[in-house]
Amino acid sequence: MRDSLSRLYALSKRNAKEIVRDPLSLIFMIGLPFFMEILFYLLFHKQTDQFQMIYLAPGIVVFSQAFLALFTGQLIALDRSTSLLTRLYVSRATSVEFILSYALPILPITAVQSILFFLVGGIFDHGLFGWRMPLAILLSLVTSLFFIGMGILFGSLCSEKSIGGIASILVACQSLLSGMWFPTEGLGDGMIALMDALPFRNATQLLQNTVLGIGNAWGDFFRPLLILLGYTLVAFVSAVLVFKKKMKA
Amino acid sequence: MAAIQTTSLTKTYKDLIAVDELDLTIEEGELFALLGVNGAGKTTTVKMLSTLVRPTAGEATVFGFALGREDAKIKEIVDISMQETAVARKLTVRENIELFARLAGQSKTEIAETTKRVYDDFGLGKVANKKAAELSGGWQRKLSIALSLVTNPKLLFLDEPTLGLDVIARRELWRVIENLKGKMTIVLTTHYMEEAEALSDRIGIMKDGRLLFVGTKEELYQKTGKNDVEGAFIEVVSGGDGNA
Repeated sequence: MRDSLSRLYALSKRNAKEIVRDPLSLIFMIGLPFFMEILFYLLFHKQTDQFQMIYLAPGIVVFSQAFLALFTGQLIALDRSTSLLTRLYVSRATSVEFILSYALPILPITAVQSILFFLVGGIFDHGLFGWRMPLAILLSLVTSLFFIGMGILFGSLCSEKSIGGIASILVACQSLLSGMWFPTEGLGDGMIALMDALPFRNATQLLQNTVLGIGNAWGDFFRPLLILLGYTLVAFVSAVLVFKKKMKA
Repeated sequence: MAAIQTTSLTKTYKDLIAVDELDLTIEEGELFALLGVNGAGKTTTVKMLSTLVRPTAGEATVFGFALGREDAKIKEIVDISMQETAVARKLTVRENIELFARLAGQSKTEIAETTKRVYDDFGLGKVANKKAAELSGGWQRKLSIALSLVTNPKLLFLDEPTLGLDVIARRELWRVIENLKGKMTIVLTTHYMEEAEALSDRIGIMKDGRLLFVGTKEELYQKTGKNDVEGAFIEVVSGGDGNA
């Protein structure tokens, strides 16, 4: 057990350094969402509720998490392409340790994203400060797991060259299907049903409802949470199976 | 004790027989060179014996541990330097060494000793704080090979270690390998005949997954009537007609 934890620590530390030392990852995971949060608030918060900080800040947190999939996937795909993973596989580390080592270092990064974007939101809208903010930050760790699982899955499936394009689809889905950038009232019932069935809007609404205040425990909280956890479970189980299969191959 | 013993070890991929009923014994402390043209089955053999690839049939033991049943034990005493450079690109040279040492379960003191040993053996101390990605191809290759020695293995597989190195770097690596002789068992696959000639105690020649010859250089010369490894190798793989 102690040996396993020591290996997990060593691999996680390495993976964290690989991600944080890539300036592009910091630009996309922190810089771009930070810039968008302030810009969209300043430009549009008077025109539409969509861009009031109480909606925008939680939306930006989940939007920034979509980039976690890109950079987690990129790291795994690169490790596979350079034979580093195969080489590490001769060590005593197990598949589970490898997968956890890709997932765990992302949690502090997502915590930084969440704290930063909620604090920025709070500066513009003091109503965000309060006991609900730390709860939303904790829940953001849960929402990030879906994107981390997808990142591990993409990284195990895709090549170093294709991972960018594939992960960008996930970022686009989070933008278009979360309902954070445009009002959903004008959309047809079919589109709304689709958005409700997918994880993107559920993740965003889970955090938005948490900071807004939960009126209906099932509809506002447990339903989106359970849908999201379902997708997260599928993403992680698929990731583990594909990762193990690829390693054996 | 035999470091490696295989009996009818076989690996097939669909219709392709990559390794065909390999019977091979390598003694502890030996430096064994495995030669063969591309696709001969050298790398597959190395990958099977280092637990990376599961054999389709046959048996093998590594220092008495059964391949497939005692892989965890084998992983504790075996290491491999892959054909391709395998380093953590954004970690420094020192961090790379520490990563592999920690994965091998070494304590802080042991990691410090290992780092010093690897710096001394490979001259990596002068680039210790450089990120691997910033090193030249030759230095990255050197680091990649050095990482396989971090764990102090009893059995080391060097899969075409000097591929892509310039002549100076190759000679430097030969010196390192020569220093390792006797301290551990080494299985070296290579396309460079002079490498096998200079370094190995015994030579194995593979073609189409089959082991065609095992013996010392002298035995190889005697069998083929040649007086250099390259000539003898061509003789063996061509079956005497010069066509490999």
